[in-house]
Amino acid sequence: MIEGTLVDFVPFEDDFAIYLETWMNEEAWFRAHLWERREPHTEHDVKKYIERMEKDEHGALIGFQAKNGDPIGAVIFDHEWPRVRKAEARFFAGDSRYEGSDEVLDALLMLVRYCFETRNLHRLDAVALPFDEAKLDHLRRAGFVHEGTLRQHIRWDGDYVDMEMFGLLDSEWPGYTAKVAGLDLQPSGLEPKPRLEKKDEKKDGAG
Amino acid sequence: MLEGLLVDLVPYGKAFLDLDHRWMNHEASFWSSGGERHFMSQAMIAARHAQWAEERERAGGGAGVGFGVQTKDGKPLGYFGINWLSAHHRVAMLGAKIGEPQYWGGGYGTDALLLLLDYTFDWLDVRKAWLMTTSMNARVMRQMEKAGFRLEVRQRQSALADGVWYDWLAYGLLREEWPGRAALVEQLGLRERAAALESGTK
Repeated sequence: MIEGTLVDFVPFEDDFAIYLETWMNEEAWFRAHLWERREPHTEHDVKKYIERMEKDEHGALIGFQAKNGDPIGAVIFDHEWPRVRKAEARFFAGDSRYEGSDEVLDALLMLVRYCFETRNLHRLDAVALPFDEAKLDHLRRAGFVHEGTLRQHIRWDGDYVDMEMFGLLDSEWPGYTAKVAGLDLQPSGLEPKPRLEKKDEKKDGAG
Repeated sequence: MLEGLLVDLVPYGKAFLDLDHRWMNHEASFWSSGGERHFMSQAMIAARHAQWAEERERAGGGAGVGFGVQTKDGKPLGYFGINWLSAHHRVAMLGAKIGEPQYWGGGYGTDALLLLLDYTFDWLDVRKAWLMTTSMNARVMRQMEKAGFRLEVRQRQSALADGVWYDWLAYGLLREEWPGRAALVEQLGLRERAAALESGTK
């Protein structure tokens, strides 16, 4: 576990995987994976995705949860390019109650901290849809710089829409502690949702 | 085969594959890859070709489209193609490499680019063509502007070449911005360039 200010990073264990079966079919997931076709993900697809990310030497799927243990979503760094020390930063709130919250911003800051202060990366890329106000706000508050717009670049809900491209350099990152000190992060105060039961394959098999 | 004025686009067959070893270990690769220095043996090149063939077979029509570029008298010069094609977004990411430096800056790449754009828009019904190059590659930047592309994104310090940081630049061209190959051939004087080459005056 890595402890943050409002959230903690945890390994993507089974209890997170249960939530991902829902999250991977919801809006926040697709907004974090703009290139992908919007198609249904079965339990099998989710399992395969987690396995793929576990084996990926140039990426990782990390769960984040509130201080009370409530699972919120995931951060992903992907397509790490060792020669130039850069990677793509992605994040989403699987639990939509936390959309736009400071918990999600803290998760992004912790992802930046992990990439710059632990993995020694030089640069992070990030992308957002022009109408995804919550994500744009989080990227800007985290210090990402808008580097341009890929015009009419993807098909989205009946239209061809732009992709807003962002970047953050390690030289622009003051460090997690200093960054948090300047942001006045506030917890949402949401009640934890009821825990989903882990699936017991033996019990299911016994009917 | 797509016939141009200075070059033709042809299948990337054996004549090109045989030259890949030289082109991959060459300065051309450094420029097209944003600063990579390859050390690739013949065996590595062969394995790479086998992987491409397998990917093409597996992906069917979903993969990119690669062409060999050759002069009008059949000398292989390099590669031009669609490295990645997304059918549902209808965008095509282009890639290019002229492996023979004496053909840099002579209009050969521009002629190949116009042929490829014509093919991309008029045959594949793509809405947008785009490509990435680095800020050290002034020749490609000029070529993009001449062909009507717009600089859309500058990813700061995302390329490292011989110890110096450069930016990756994304250039995009929408179908409605494309005036058609014939118009650009005239605008860029490619016909005169071809006539000069034929008469030996260069």
